[in-house]
Amino acid sequence: MNIRYLGKMAQFGMMVALSLCLLPSLQARVWTSKDGKKLNAAFVALDGDKVELRLNNGNTVKVPLDRLIKADSEAAKRFNGVGDNSLTKAAAKRIDGMLAKNLKKAGVKGFNEALPDDLFVRRVYLDIIGRIPTREEFMKFAESSRPDKREGLIDELLTHPGYSSHMFNYFADMFRLTGKMGEGGGRRAEPYINWWQEQLENNTPYDQIVTNMITAKGNIGKNPASGFLLRDAGMEFDAFANFSQVFLGIDISCAQCHDHPFADWTQMDFFRMAAFFGNTQRIAGRGMMGGMMGKKGGNKTQELVAYAKKNGVPTDNRQLAYNFYRYLDFIGWDVEDKENLETQLPHDFRGSGGKPGAVVKPRTLLGGAAKKGGKTRREALADWMTSADNPRFAMVIANRMWDRAFGKPLIGPVTDFEKDSICGQPQVLAFVTSEMKRVNYDLREFMRILYNTRAYQGLATAEEPATTKAYLFAGPVLRRMKPEQAWDSLMLLASGPKIDEVKGRDGSFLRSVLTIDFEKESVEDIFAKYQAYDANFRRLGDIVVSEPGELQGSAPSVPKMGRVEMIRASQMVQPAPAASLLDTFGQSDRLVTDEHSLDGSVPQVLALMNGGVTERLTGSSSKVVQDLEVLDAPDDKVRGIFFTMLSRYPSDDELKLGMKMMEDFGDEGVSDLAWALMNSPEFLFVQ
Amino acid sequence: MKDLFNLAGKNELGRRAFIERAAQLSLGVGVAGMLPAVASAAAGKTDTGKAKSMIYIYLSGGMTHLDTFDPKDNSTVMGPSEAISTNVDGLRLGNHFTGLAKHADKLAIINSMTSTNGAHEVAQYMNRTGYAKRATIVHPTLGPFAEELLGKRGKILPDSVVVGQSTSNAGYLDPSRSPLPIADPAGGVPNSIIQTDESRFERRMEMAQGLGKKFADKYKYASAQSYVEYYKQANKLLKSDDLEAFDISQEANGEKYGSGRLGQGCLLAKRLVENGVRVIEVVAGGFDMHIGLDNALQGRIPALDKALTALIEDLEAAGLLDSTLIAVNTDFGRTPTINMNAGRDHYPAAYSTMLAGGGIVGGQVYGSTDKMGKKVKNDPVEPADFIATIGYAMGIDLDETIYSPTRRPFTFANKGKPVMKLVS
Repeated sequence: MNIRYLGKMAQFGMMVALSLCLLPSLQARVWTSKDGKKLNAAFVALDGDKVELRLNNGNTVKVPLDRLIKADSEAAKRFNGVGDNSLTKAAAKRIDGMLAKNLKKAGVKGFNEALPDDLFVRRVYLDIIGRIPTREEFMKFAESSRPDKREGLIDELLTHPGYSSHMFNYFADMFRLTGKMGEGGGRRAEPYINWWQEQLENNTPYDQIVTNMITAKGNIGKNPASGFLLRDAGMEFDAFANFSQVFLGIDISCAQCHDHPFADWTQMDFFRMAAFFGNTQRIAGRGMMGGMMGKKGGNKTQELVAYAKKNGVPTDNRQLAYNFYRYLDFIGWDVEDKENLETQLPHDFRGSGGKPGAVVKPRTLLGGAAKKGGKTRREALADWMTSADNPRFAMVIANRMWDRAFGKPLIGPVTDFEKDSICGQPQVLAFVTSEMKRVNYDLREFMRILYNTRAYQGLATAEEPATTKAYLFAGPVLRRMKPEQAWDSLMLLASGPKIDEVKGRDGSFLRSVLTIDFEKESVEDIFAKYQAYDANFRRLGDIVVSEPGELQGSAPSVPKMGRVEMIRASQMVQPAPAASLLDTFGQSDRLVTDEHSLDGSVPQVLALMNGGVTERLTGSSSKVVQDLEVLDAPDDKVRGIFFTMLSRYPSDDELKLGMKMMEDFGDEGVSDLAWALMNSPEFLFVQ
Repeated sequence: MKDLFNLAGKNELGRRAFIERAAQLSLGVGVAGMLPAVASAAAGKTDTGKAKSMIYIYLSGGMTHLDTFDPKDNSTVMGPSEAISTNVDGLRLGNHFTGLAKHADKLAIINSMTSTNGAHEVAQYMNRTGYAKRATIVHPTLGPFAEELLGKRGKILPDSVVVGQSTSNAGYLDPSRSPLPIADPAGGVPNSIIQTDESRFERRMEMAQGLGKKFADKYKYASAQSYVEYYKQANKLLKSDDLEAFDISQEANGEKYGSGRLGQGCLLAKRLVENGVRVIEVVAGGFDMHIGLDNALQGRIPALDKALTALIEDLEAAGLLDSTLIAVNTDFGRTPTINMNAGRDHYPAAYSTMLAGGGIVGGQVYGSTDKMGKKVKNDPVEPADFIATIGYAMGIDLDETIYSPTRRPFTFANKGKPVMKLVS
């Protein structure tokens, strides 16, 4: 094979890609019709009541919107706004105006110097799609002379599959997503994890995601969103304390036991708010194991046990019996509303407004009563949460998204801020909150605004801002890569950009065997589902790899490093196993919200110096090796290795150093340079 | 390009030469303080306390007090558990502590712990630093703080190690004081074999450090500086025979500690104490028993019993128990009332902790709760007092003030009062 020729071909391919990228284009996604048919295609345009889609073979088709499921017809309407971003630009300008005014007032000369192209491209790849760019992606951008190429790249990346992957990592940390839930981690939550991935792939508005989670009923098969409430089954008040931190930015956990020492919250406020979940029963079907499934399935359960005993679940075979009862228990692991349940004040209640044991009626924390009007408590709560009466919901998510872009929130900490918390930019906070509402909680549109600000597109502030003073946002702050960004970037170097296309675990099998209609299905049918469950019991949660364009394919032979598959963090088991590289880089163990760590450590740097990942970079599938193979001239090789590893041009000194290494040690010298770049702290930082 | 990141050429001779060179280099090469505001008040100090080393066993999730150190007669309160007698008259323990029951004469049990932190995160923070969690500063854990006050002890080995977690930091102190995190005690320090020959490794390190220096000069951020420091430390450690201190496979009787992370973590802690490490924190989870108490207890408490018993016995046999303080702490206690899921919920108002070994008077129970284990009856001890007691036994001056880079004053244990009845 003529390697040089291949290199030329690659360059030609890049030119074609470059010209194509002038068109506003969206990545292919799966479109589902009401009758369940699926189509993998990219959005082109909206034409009246039809949506024009481009298939993988380049042909376009027009599909009536009313043939699509609701989420997809709505997605089509949303995509229609992409490309027309005059409102986005106006909003970005407004933010810049407010920040600039405050900088001036504080005597700062202005925003940080604008990012040069190379630092820009690395930053937006890491921030938007969660990994460094490839050498080709870097060069494509660097060599483009389009005046609006920055805006164009931001748009392109916001519709890249990596966008939802990176967003998933953020929410997995915030919502503490785990693949195993329940007592001793005995139940699998892939359907809930898949559900989150789908919401982000479809860019479902954030308020809808939250409403679906708060109001979900049923088990994780019937309604995967119920995973949100099942996550903390058995510790309802702690669940509420988390709820309040995550959605309202109020850490009220201390008011669980006594009045808040600093803020206005009382113990009674806590329980009134928690009472919105007062008649929600998690693991409602739990009694199933004893045959007391309640109205719906009681007799069926008894029948099922009897039928099972008759048909192959001998009670003396402990493993089979165990699997069977585990299955019943899994079905009964659900969320339901029970009219007769109420929240009661705890026996050691010390606050005012009620006595221990008294029933508490729901009331919101921030004024503005939730209107019931025939709705369940949770529906009323969801309405209130996302309504204009709640001043915090939009603010909290806007502040969090700001934090993602700039490395520092407008007001902090994001889980617990008060009127007197340090906030140097109250007008900006108010404005981005209103923008969050204007874009209807479309997080992609919201991020587009932030990424287009001049403030974001400046160099990272050179000196760490003091925590005791308000930060003025002359630019983003320097951030160590999030654990998932570090992992995904290393995986890119080890395997190339195909890691973007690999889909991880598929919960649809679990969904099918857990979805049971006790009223309609016969005992035989249910038992057949059990048998399917049992046959696949050991494979639950196994990896399913889908190539692009393929909905499901079974190819569990993913390359592994230790116990960890070499795929993007968002597609791996959640969270990654203890002592894995992701864990070493500080991935949250998902016990507490936003628990990831950005601290370094000796084991972390040892992993980069001597670990399996370094070893992987020598393989034939390594991007580093492949990039070097297409380059000939020594200076090209040195530059190439800088592009591959750090996505930037070497300085004159660095170029000289690299050339010297090549002169003295040949290819060995180049690889030493690559090693050194990976092991210079710069690699791990987002500048 | 097969040679990229050359994996060949690992050789022991090269390694030996490294060690010798590292020893030469380490003469006169101190770890420069990178945060100048933290004055090195420790210069010239030595450990004068009875406890030369301290093993801090942290049970995350909140260990139930009733089923372990504070058993009651009331069977409704006790649920699945009951009390057993020990080798000390009148000192009773929960029924899973059969091993510890033979060593009760060495234990100082505190049954009057109390706090107001009912959520895991804030409780853990308080119990591992002595300070309330704040948004504006990160406080150091006990190991880095002790090192700041008592001075650096190890030449190559770190002064503090945290077993059972993957990350750590030194709070507002210099990052060089960060505990070395060992996620999996059985794995020791992973990736500690140099993958190339000596000259090539030196070449790589030199280049990486040169590039890294430029980056760290450009950005005045503690995080960027800390990586420069971690590379320095890693480089030193790689070339050192002291790495063997982390290899528990060399222990002949390791199985008596139990095979889980907690037991293996305690085994590693013992080995590190033998090698002079000052503070080893062993973090173990699984104590958040909201559901199915009986099963949950059986899953965790016998393992804890086994690990603590082995640790006490081995340290005693090695003549190190008098100079090693063992402390057991946790988030909070658990509710005397058993909930609808047959579990116990969070309960900070009353709970139990334990001390043993160096500088501690054993065979005693300090403080008590009422018949239900609900309220502290006498001698309340708050988290900071517990930590102050440990500091006292280690010979730390509890009034000595250090300053953060933002010039905020701090003391070990945040003015907590040591419990003098517990220390000798």
